[in-house]
Amino acid sequence: MDLAARAFPALLLGAVNTVIYCVSSFPIALLLGLLLAVMASSRFIWFRAPARTFIEVIRGTPMIAQIFILYYGIGALLGVYGLAGLINAWTAGIISLAINYAAYEAEIFRAGLLSVDKGQTEAAYSLGLTGSQSFFRIVLPQAIPFMIPPFVNDFIYMLKDSAIVSVISGTELTSVLTFWVTRNTSDSFPLYFIAIVFYLLMSLPTSYIARLFERRLRAAF
Amino acid sequence: MSDIYDASQVAVEELQARAVARRHTWLLVLDLLFGAVAILLVLAFFFYLYAFRQLLLLYLPVFLDGTRITVLISLASVIFAVVFGLIGVAGRLSRFSVLRWLATLYVEVVRGTPILVQLLLWYYGVATALTQMSIDPYRLVYSLATTLQMNSLFQDPNFDPYLFGIIGLSFNYGAYLTEVFRSGILSVERGQTEAGLSLGLNSGQIMRHIIFPQAIRVVVPPFTNNFITLIQDSSLLSILGIVELEHQTFGLALPQVDPNNKMFVFIFGALFYLILCYPLSLLARYLEARIARAY
Repeated sequence: MDLAARAFPALLLGAVNTVIYCVSSFPIALLLGLLLAVMASSRFIWFRAPARTFIEVIRGTPMIAQIFILYYGIGALLGVYGLAGLINAWTAGIISLAINYAAYEAEIFRAGLLSVDKGQTEAAYSLGLTGSQSFFRIVLPQAIPFMIPPFVNDFIYMLKDSAIVSVISGTELTSVLTFWVTRNTSDSFPLYFIAIVFYLLMSLPTSYIARLFERRLRAAF
Repeated sequence: MSDIYDASQVAVEELQARAVARRHTWLLVLDLLFGAVAILLVLAFFFYLYAFRQLLLLYLPVFLDGTRITVLISLASVIFAVVFGLIGVAGRLSRFSVLRWLATLYVEVVRGTPILVQLLLWYYGVATALTQMSIDPYRLVYSLATTLQMNSLFQDPNFDPYLFGIIGLSFNYGAYLTEVFRSGILSVERGQTEAGLSLGLNSGQIMRHIIFPQAIRVVVPPFTNNFITLIQDSSLLSILGIVELEHQTFGLALPQVDPNNKMFVFIFGALFYLILCYPLSLLARYLEARIARAY
C-alpha cells in the first residue's frame, strides 16, 4: 500500500499526459481523415489513388512499426540535416497517433458522407450553390451526427493505443507504470490496479457518453 | 423563328458536347499520365529495394524467420482467443446473473485497458506471482510433455514470454470476439429459436443446427478484421522479448549507423506486415460485400 501511495502521483501525472497526447493528436487525425476521405472519394485518380494507398498502408502495418519508423528512422534522417530536435517522444507520439488514426477516421468520414442522400447535393446544386458550399453547408452538417459515435469510439481506442508511446520513452501512464513495475517486481499488483483503474476512468465515461449520444440520435431519426 | 431557335439550340448543344469531349480527352490524358507516374513510382520502389540489395539479401532469412514466429504466435493466439470468446459469450448469454456479470466485467475491463498494460500484467505480474508461489509454468509444461513423449517441442527454456504473451494476446482478443460472437448470435431472429423449439429440438440442437449456421455468416467478416489487428498487435510481444518480426526489425535497424540503412530496415520489416495483412483485409472486405449482397 505504501508503494501504491508513493507511485500514485506519478501515475496520475502519466494519466494526464496520456490525455494530452490524445487530445492533441485527435483533432489532427480528424482533419487529416477528412482530407483523406474527400481525396479517396474524388473523381480524379490523382487524388484517389494516393489517399487509398496511404489508408491501406497505414491500416496494414502495426502502429509500433510506424512509431519506430517515425522516431528512429525519420529522426535519424533528419539528424543528417541537423534537425534531429524536431523528433522527440512528444512530436513523434502525437504525429504517429494522428497519422494512424487519420486512416481510420477517413473511413468513418466516407461512410458518414455516403449516408447523406445524394438528392441533398443535387438540391444544393439546383439552388446554385458551388461544390464547396454544398459540401460544407449541406452535406457535412448532416453527416456529422452519424459520425460522432464512431469518432468517440475511436477516441477511446486512441486513449488505449497511446500506451504505445511508452516504447519510444514518452512519458505517459503505461511508461510510468513500466518504470515503477520494473523497480518493484515483487509486489507490483497495486500498481497495475491503479493504472487499470485510471484507464477505465478515462474510457468508460467516454463510452457511456457515446452510447447516450447514439440513443438520442436513434430517437431523433 | 422556331427554325432559328432550333438551329441555335443544336449549335449550343454541339458546342457543349465538344466541350465535354475536350474535357474528357483532358481527363483521359491526366489518367494516362497518372498511370505512367504510378508505374514510375512502383519501379522507383523496386529500385529502392534493389539499391539496398546487399542488406536485403543479408537480412531476408532473418525477416522470414521473424515472420514465421509472428504467424505461429498469431495462429496460436487466435485459437485461444476463440476459446476465450466462446467462454465469454456463454457467460454473457447465460441465464445466471453472476455469470453474465462476470462476463460483462471481463469484456469491459479488457476492452477498457491497453493491450500493452495487459501484456505487462501477464508477463511481469502474473509470472512473478507464480514464481512467488514456486510454480514454474515451463517445468510444468515440460514434465507434462515428457509424459506425453513430446518434450522435444519445448526445448527452449525461454518459455515464459511465449506462454504469457500468447495468453495475454488471446485473453485480450477473447473479449473482442465475445462481442463479435454475441452480436452474431443475437442477429439470428428469435423466431428461429421458437421454430426449433416447436419442432422439438433441445437447446443444444438449436444452437448447433439453427443458430450457429446462420450466425457464422455475420461473424466471419468482423472475425477476420479482428484477426488482422491481432497479427498487428502481436508485434507488441516484442516488448516481452519474443523475437518475432518487429523484434527482428528493430533489432537489426537500431544498430545501423547510416540513417538510410536504418530507414530501409524499418520499411522492409513493415513491408512484411503489409504482405501478411493486406490479403486478409481484401478477404474481409470481399466477405462483407458478399454478406451485404445476400440480404
